[in-house]
Amino acid sequence: MTRPLYRLVYYSRNRIAGAPGDVAQTVQGILRASQRNNFEVGVTGALLFNAGIFAQVLEGRQDSISATFERIQRDPRHGDVHVLGFEQTSAPSFPNWSMAYLGRSREAENLFGSIAADSGFRPDSLESERIFRIMREIALEEESAAA
Amino acid sequence: MSAIETSPVPIELAMNTASSGPDPVGQASLAEEALRRLNRAVAVYSRDGAVQFSNGAFDALLRQPAFASGLAALFERTLALHSVRSEDTPLSLGERRVYQIETVPLSHGVLVTASDVSAEMAERKRVNDEARTDPLTGLGNRLLLREQLAELMSDLTLHPSAAAVLTIDLDRFKAVNDTLGHPVGDALLRVVADRIRSQLGRGDVVARLGGDEFAILQVDPQQPKAAESLAARLVDLLGRSYIVDGNLLNIGASVGVALLPGDCADGDQILKYADLALYRAKSAGRGTYRFFEMAMDEEMQARHTMEIDLRRALALREFSLVYQPQVNLDTSRITGFEALLRWHRAGGATVAPSDFIPLAEEIGLINPIGEWVIRNACREAAGWSEPLTIAVNVSASQFASATLIGTVVSALAESGLAPERLELEITESVLMDDTQSVIDILHSLRQLGVRVSMDDFGTGYSSLSYLRRFPFDKIKIDQSFIRGHEAEGPGGSAIVQAIAALGRSLGMTTTAEGVETEQQLSRVAAYGCTDVQGFLFSRPLPPEKIADVILNNRAQPSEPPRKTNDTQGGDSL
Ligand SMILES: Cc1cc2nc3c(=O)[nH]c(=O)nc-3n(C[C@H](O)[C@H](O)[C@H](O)COP(=O)(O)O)c2cc1C
Repeated sequence: MTRPLYRLVYYSRNRIAGAPGDVAQTVQGILRASQRNNFEVGVTGALLFNAGIFAQVLEGRQDSISATFERIQRDPRHGDVHVLGFEQTSAPSFPNWSMAYLGRSREAENLFGSIAADSGFRPDSLESERIFRIMREIALEEESAAA
Repeated sequence: MSAIETSPVPIELAMNTASSGPDPVGQASLAEEALRRLNRAVAVYSRDGAVQFSNGAFDALLRQPAFASGLAALFERTLALHSVRSEDTPLSLGERRVYQIETVPLSHGVLVTASDVSAEMAERKRVNDEARTDPLTGLGNRLLLREQLAELMSDLTLHPSAAAVLTIDLDRFKAVNDTLGHPVGDALLRVVADRIRSQLGRGDVVARLGGDEFAILQVDPQQPKAAESLAARLVDLLGRSYIVDGNLLNIGASVGVALLPGDCADGDQILKYADLALYRAKSAGRGTYRFFEMAMDEEMQARHTMEIDLRRALALREFSLVYQPQVNLDTSRITGFEALLRWHRAGGATVAPSDFIPLAEEIGLINPIGEWVIRNACREAAGWSEPLTIAVNVSASQFASATLIGTVVSALAESGLAPERLELEITESVLMDDTQSVIDILHSLRQLGVRVSMDDFGTGYSSLSYLRRFPFDKIKIDQSFIRGHEAEGPGGSAIVQAIAALGRSLGMTTTAEGVETEQQLSRVAAYGCTDVQGFLFSRPLPPEKIADVILNNRAQPSEPPRKTNDTQGGDSL
């Protein structure tokens, strides 16, 4: 019997301080650590961000999800974590780890856009599109709130 | 036969042989060989320190500098003191090896033996650690914290703000335990412990004191800054959601901080101080931290003595009731009185209900006090020359206790008061807790003929829905809408008008509370309130004055208001 798959969706407030270039570098670092660690424990998902927020989907086995989430929770680079969903799922919606910059700010687009392009973010199922849409709405709302 | 004799008999034999002494040389060499091969390290030194004899185990030990120097010190003392064991200060060699050395003076030298006590020492340490560890989380326990505190306090050179004690209490943890069971609760506590640990510096000590209570001893010269930032980080971090055994859990944390030795230089006391600050953090709405202040201790002491006094106030007959008239605006006549409780505390001070009712609720005294009020008010009103109403405040806890109806029935029977003359005043908070059972009780009271009014209206949350759920006889508009700064503004007047209109359409009396001036009176009259109560007409009166007031029950408003210490705003009983 295969063990059940869980999906966790949350968004949080971006607390990375500093000049845009430093922020980009920090985000880059988070992305790299995430790709490395998540691959090792079989966690897939997506991470969206802009100057205001992070939004993340994590999919994997229960123990991997809780260990990963626990580590993320202890990260001071973000705060006010709101969990939107934590449930069992039959198949992963984001089978390939991905990352996207989601914002309207031109400036930030130039800075962060390339990180997102590198990561080749592509929601590739109906479910992932739905989640993506919700996260996108939150992200854009929060970006203007942060501005 | 085995290589070594172990039973007692051969030893006796050996001694017999020794005394008959046929072969001393053979025996000596036998003994020497035995010593050489012995696992225990053995050596004989001459008094001037030269090795006369040593076995292999000893030679191996001697090659370790720490052993050699430890032995040299012991050797000196042996010559002075005859026999010494290094029992109390075993000699550590390297990481885990611990030796106990024993020296015994001989007629022409010193016998030195050393044995490996590593296992015993490790076991002793394990038992020691275990006694100071919380088995569930692996954090320290109360004993560890106490000892570390005592040790720190014994350092007299301590800077006044050298350290801080933080006590942590989880909010809503009990709900997790109750709904998901202890295994999930325990697993959650382990993650909480991990999160706390992740925030600590090297010298910090953390202990679980029991249940969902933790304490940290933070040693950092940068106080109070260090404690403040740790407290803020803990509140943030522990308040973030958890995933435990597949459950998404949300709890919070409150933190209390006391500085040491600045606030106090006693280990037990400092924990109490941190707890007082924690209590403050909790009453400030949880999910936050507070620093201890001396005033908290004083308030706590005052509260404690008040509690002791309050517990015997009924027996000592220190309570009394005063009565404030309620006046109908159409007829300008008194329709009834509201009974207000006063506590004449030993020492002469009169305490207003707002200053002791919350405490009475907390320590479970509200029911006997409330019952006393109902019985006395009914008895007093039954003696009046006119059948005016008597209003009595009833608190939420009285509704929760299930004895309220019985008390009312027996108070009416005992006094002979007509039920429709008794009016129970309840606030919205009564309805907020367990609405359906409260509504049921209200209906039962109504069935007895008793009237029910909604007190302090406008100060709660969902007033309108409560008005729909029970047909109150009267709405009493909170005095904050009648007098004072905001009341005189457009917002205040709009609210009074709206409530008066609502009362009219629902067929309820609307009483404006706290009317103090003619100006306020004409305003509430213009807004459509039907009744008023306040200093403009009368302060609360002692029972012996009521008879006259009822006799003179005419339309005249009394003298302009006088300054008085009688608060009516805080009255709740
Ligand atoms: C918004 C946000 C999302 C993150 N997502 C992940 C993740 O999915 N996987 C991960 O391993 N680390 C993630 N991290 C980083 C972790 O908090 C932590 O820094 C990292 O796991 C440490 O890994 P390392 O020890 O391999 O450097 C995230 C951090 C932030 C701020």
